[in-house]
Amino acid sequence: MDFFELTSLPIDISDVARRVVPPECGATVTLDGYVRQFTKGRETLHLVYEAYEPMALKELQKLCVRARSQFAISNVGIVHRLGKLEIGETSVVISVAAPHRKAAFEACEWLISELKRTVPIWKKEVYADGEVWVEGDASAPARPIPPA
Amino acid sequence: MKVRVLFFGATADVVGKRGVTLSLAGDGTTGDAFNAVLAEYPRLQDHKLLFSVNQEFASGFEIVHDGDELAVFTAVSGG
Repeated sequence: MDFFELTSLPIDISDVARRVVPPECGATVTLDGYVRQFTKGRETLHLVYEAYEPMALKELQKLCVRARSQFAISNVGIVHRLGKLEIGETSVVISVAAPHRKAAFEACEWLISELKRTVPIWKKEVYADGEVWVEGDASAPARPIPPA
Repeated sequence: MKVRVLFFGATADVVGKRGVTLSLAGDGTTGDAFNAVLAEYPRLQDHKLLFSVNQEFASGFEIVHDGDELAVFTAVSGG
């Protein structure tokens, strides 16, 4: 069973990893993404994550379906934290279970890259002297609307 | 007809609210609706924007129906 969740509570990484394990698998790769203190030399005090929750859950489900069609994997679990996060706290966990580890590593890397491109979640960096909503890269999943 | 337009993160800050209700003539497209929003809040165009209709990414060519849920937001930054 794949699963994907948004939560405002701390994420139990080992719980996510355990939940994806089926009997036919031999390896689970788990990404623990957490809040970094320094980005490009600037110190972050904390982060705030916000999601367009119903659309984010739909996009996470699509990612799981696409991952299973591209990689020889069995199960995917993705949990993303929302709200205020302190330095070092886990913001996202992706666990991929597969019969063999290579597919699990590849799928996990693909999933985090696609999540950062397509799932409507945003992070605000709060610094000592201000704050800014981080905007993703330009390789957007849909083209901007041309002016009328 | 009326549609709801939602904003998140940076676009909510620009607009100053989390959503607005928009009145549109019939047979409009999502592009028409989003252009009306951009005309009302031109500072949105300082950002790399993405658009959705009923929680799917929009191309701008979808026909809008009464009660649809649209959204305008910046390129995503989760993870």
